[in-house]
Parts: sequence; structure tokens; C-alpha cells
Amino acid sequence: MFRLRILGRYLHSEILVLPARVLALVFIAALLVLPLFSGDSYLLMVLILTAIFTMYAVSWDLLAGYAGQISLGHALFFGVGAYTAALLNTKLGLSPAFGIPLGAVTAMTSGLLVGVPCLRLRRHYLALATLAFPLMLTGIVFAFPEFTGGELGIYAITRLAATRVVEYYIAIGTMLLVVALLWKLTTSRVGLIFHAIREDEVVVRALGIDTIRYKLLAFMVSGLVAGLSGALYAHFLRTAGPSNLDLFMSFHPVIWTIFGGAATIYGPVTGVFLLFPALEYLRAVPEYRMLIFALLILLVLRLLPGGLAPWIRDRLEKQCPNCRMNNAFVRSTCRACRSQLTP
Amino acid sequence: MAEGLRVQGLSVSYGPALIVHEVDLEVGAGATVSVVGPNGAGKTTVLRALSGLVLWEKSSSRQAGVQLVGEVWFGQERVDHLPAHQIASRGLILCPERRRPFREMTVEENLQAGAYLVRSRKVAQQRMAEVCRLFPVLRERGRQRAGTLSGGEQQMLAIGRALMGGPKLLMIDEPSTGLAPLVKQPLFARIREIKTLGIGILLVEQDAELALSMADSGYVLSQGRVVAQGSPAELLADEVVRRSYLGL
Ligand SMILES: Nc1ncnc2c1ncn2[C@@H]1O[C@H](COP(=O)(O)OP(=O)(O)O)[C@@H](O)[C@H]1O
Ligand SMILES: [Mg+2]
Repeated sequence: MFRLRILGRYLHSEILVLPARVLALVFIAALLVLPLFSGDSYLLMVLILTAIFTMYAVSWDLLAGYAGQISLGHALFFGVGAYTAALLNTKLGLSPAFGIPLGAVTAMTSGLLVGVPCLRLRRHYLALATLAFPLMLTGIVFAFPEFTGGELGIYAITRLAATRVVEYYIAIGTMLLVVALLWKLTTSRVGLIFHAIREDEVVVRALGIDTIRYKLLAFMVSGLVAGLSGALYAHFLRTAGPSNLDLFMSFHPVIWTIFGGAATIYGPVTGVFLLFPALEYLRAVPEYRMLIFALLILLVLRLLPGGLAPWIRDRLEKQCPNCRMNNAFVRSTCRACRSQLTP
Repeated sequence: MAEGLRVQGLSVSYGPALIVHEVDLEVGAGATVSVVGPNGAGKTTVLRALSGLVLWEKSSSRQAGVQLVGEVWFGQERVDHLPAHQIASRGLILCPERRRPFREMTVEENLQAGAYLVRSRKVAQQRMAEVCRLFPVLRERGRQRAGTLSGGEQQMLAIGRALMGGPKLLMIDEPSTGLAPLVKQPLFARIREIKTLGIGILLVEQDAELALSMADSGYVLSQGRVVAQGSPAELLADEVVRRSYLGL
């Protein structure tokens, strides 16, 4: 009872005061109860893939958006996660419960391996260098077709779970947990240092911070999360193949994140949840699908250079000119210092 | 507390270009020393060398053919081979040229980033209070984005950020550049106050009169060499120095 009241008060003072937080809460609640109202298998499949790609996009936002280490070869981590889980499952008979975490850890290690040679590279040099890594892995995949399945990939992987609904809860649950953890990380001291490195690495070093350690940390955490999403993807679709490593796979998280709003975490979540289902349901008009999709993205990038989610947030909330506290757009006085808010 | 700095035969060259040539320099523990000289004299390069940034440039191969020789002693320790972040952790901290605040961060977050070296939360809070006492405007603007501050406020923020790390010797590079005289004066009054906290200061400036007026001793740098050194009064009285190097 007492606990409930604390929860109630927390809800009232921390969540309900800001529209963006209410929106987030409603979104989470809707995702969690959806299977109770709809058994539509296609809808669940689309949402499972959306959840998996959300983790993938958020991992890119951490590395590129926050720490400023622009990676155009993010498919490497996705692919390492997918292939590792697939091989462990088909060659050693490991269940998804072990194969998926191991896939993620292997991708984290690959993040370290990629991070070390990339430490000295900046901006577009870094972006170009990272582009090469998934291509190298593709080369290796094609070089050992008996082991990797070559062009056709690896088939008949164990299903993620016995039913679609359980698969749904695994994907959504993992996604919510991962997003919450990364949100926590980016709002912590580590996130502050990532941001500082993105703005001016030289000054960060001059302030006594070993930027190399933090850049490698960003590569590893990002690799871990991207690998996790790749491994889940492989077990959900029951296959892993070279398309997991191709250029599209590398560019997708970039598009999703920049569309939604980079260096925010909630931006890429918004981006994937709008763009991925949109692309799926545009299959109804196959001849215009890509055209509509591209126009949609161009429009947002042109009109909202900071991304969609921060733009929406700025519409829903206004900052108090006095204490800089965020307030709901409907308020006329600040909830903290009671000073007048400009309309 | 304060530590002394001793530099012996410091030379820096970029490829064939010799930027700093056999510079000897000393800052006594807790003293204020000004380095003045015309634009392009190599003042910034000296500070970058002392704070390990030239070495960083060299090791990260951002620049071809960087050469760095000479000895830098800070207290009892030789620091010229240490990486930049370790030099800062010894208490030799740079407030860089052009201020370079983290523009997209709030003022408060900038100061927090500067407090990285502070392990205890209590000490960090004390420092924050100290910095805000010195520069009250930083408290007022705490939640404002640093990029929206005026030039003078950005300079205060840059100095405050460096102070958060607890320097024993603070190196400040051209704090007055681009500031109106009306802003310069109070800023330098604050820098004088830092001096009274027992923190040594190595101040690099183009505004020679202002910088020398608050120093215990001064160096005149021109074309990478120390061309004159002595007490501020001597330097400002020397006609040759005034006319050829300080443009006074
Ligand atoms: N990274 C660099 N590469 C080549 N030349 C440089 C570099 N940095 C500075 N210089 C040159 O060194 C000289 C001194 O520069 P600097 O130390 O910035 O002088 P000051 O701070 O006294 O104005 C200038 O002529 C400048 O062009
Ligand atoms: Mg300079």
C-alpha cells in the first residue's frame, strides 16, 4: 500500500508533469499490452523486427551520435552477432539463451578490434575506414563457404521461441531494457564525457581525461548492443547470411537515427518505430514504395535538421527562461520557480 | 599545493619549420609568470608542448614530422614524456586559446567535465562553489548552453572549467583576445584573485602591459626564441623591447 503511494507520487511528480514522459509511458504500456488485443501475426512480426532494429539504431546513436565516432560499417557488429549465434547454434547445438549473449559478447570484442586501429582517425577518415570492416568480413564469409554457408548463408537455426507472442515479449522486453540502460549511460558522467569527446577531443585530453579509454568503451558497448540485435535477428528469421553485412545494413541505423534525432537515444527509437513499419506497410504499393520512403526522409531532414523527436519534444515542452526547467506547453508558470513562461 | 615548473631547451618543429627554439623558462611555486610577444611568436605552441598536446599530435600522427626536444620538470618530476591527460592529473592544466567551451553543453556540464580529475563528490562541489564565487555569472547561466554565452563569459567558463580540475599551475592562453577593454579589466581582476588562492599561473598574452602588470616575472618570445626576460618593470622600461617586440 505504502509502496503504491510512493509509486503514485512518483508518477505524479516526475512523469505526468511532462508530455514527452507521458508519451513514453503510453508507448511502453501500449507495446506491453498489444498482444492481448491483437493476435495479428504479421503485425507482431513487424513489431518484433522493429524492436530488434531499435536496439541496432540506438547502438549507432551511442557511438556516432554521442561519442561522435561516425561508423558507416555498423553492419559488422550486427553481422558478427548474427553469424556467431547462427554458427554456435547449428555447429554446436547451443540454444538461443546461450548463443545470443555469446553473439553479443563476440560483437563487443570485434568493437574493440575495430576501435583500436580507428582511434587515430577522425571524422570522415574514420567513417571511410569503418566502411571497410563489414566488407572484409563478407570476404571471409565467401572464402570459407563450407563453414559459413557462403552466399546462401546459414539455415534452419533454432527458433527464438515456440510461439510468436513469446518471441514478441522477448524482443520488446530486451529492447526496452537495452534502451533504458543506454539512456542511463548517456545521462551519466560517462555520457557527458562521450559528448565532450564529440565536441572537442583535444580539450577533453587537456582536462585530464584519457579519451582513448572512453572511445574504446563506446566502441565496445555499441558493438555489444548491435551484436545482440544481430543475434536476435538471426534466431528470429532462423537464418544468417551475407545480407546482414551489406551496405544497406550499415546505412539503415544512420538513416533511422538522423531521421529521429541523433544523440538523444529516444530519437533513433522514434525513427525505427516510424520508418521500419512504414517501409513494411508500403509493400502495398510496391512500385512507389522506395520513392515515398525517400521523399518522407528527405522532407524531415530538410525541414527538421535536428530530427523528428527533438522537434516534437520542443513543441510539447518549453523551457523556463529563469531556471531552465522544462515545462508542459500548456503551463503559463514554471513548475519549479513559478516564474512566467513566455507563450 | 603549488608546484614549480622548469623548462630546459624546449624546441618544437613541424617538418622543416622550427616553431619554438631552445626555450628555457621557469615558474616558481605559486608564482605568476607572463609570456608575451607578437602574433605567431610560438607562445601557444609552448603551452601546447607543456601540456602534452604536441606529443599527442605526434603520436596520433595527425601531423607529419613533429619534433619535440627538451626537458619539462614539474615539481620533482619530469613530465615531457607523459601523455596529456597524465600531465593534467599532475596539476599542470591548460586553459586553451580561443576558450573552446563545449558549446552544446550547459555551463554546468562544462564545469562537471572539468571536474573529471576530482574523485570525491564533496571536493567537486566545493570547487564548483569556489568557481561560481569567482565568476558569479557562471552560476546564473548554469543551465544555459555554453555556445550562447558572450566572449567574456566563455573565457570565464574556460578558466572555471580548468580550475575544476584543481590545478597547481594554471596555464592560460590569451584570455583577453577579442574582448572589449571594459570586459578585459574585470576578467584580469579575477585572474589576480586566482593567484591569491595559491595557484601558480603561466599567462600567455598579446596585451603585454596588462599581462606584465600582474606578473612576478616575464618572458618576451619572438620567432620561437626568448629574446628578453626579467621583472615586469625592467621589461616595460626597456625601449628596445617595447618598440621591437611589444609594439608599445
Ligand atoms: N600545427 C602546426 N603546423 C605547422 N605550423 C604551425 C602549427 N601550429 C603553429 N604553427 C606555426 O607556428 C608559429 C607559431 O604559432 P603559435 O604558437 O600559435 O604562435 P602564437 O601563439 O605566439 O601566436 C606560427 O607561424 C604558426 O603558423
Ligand atoms: Mg597563440
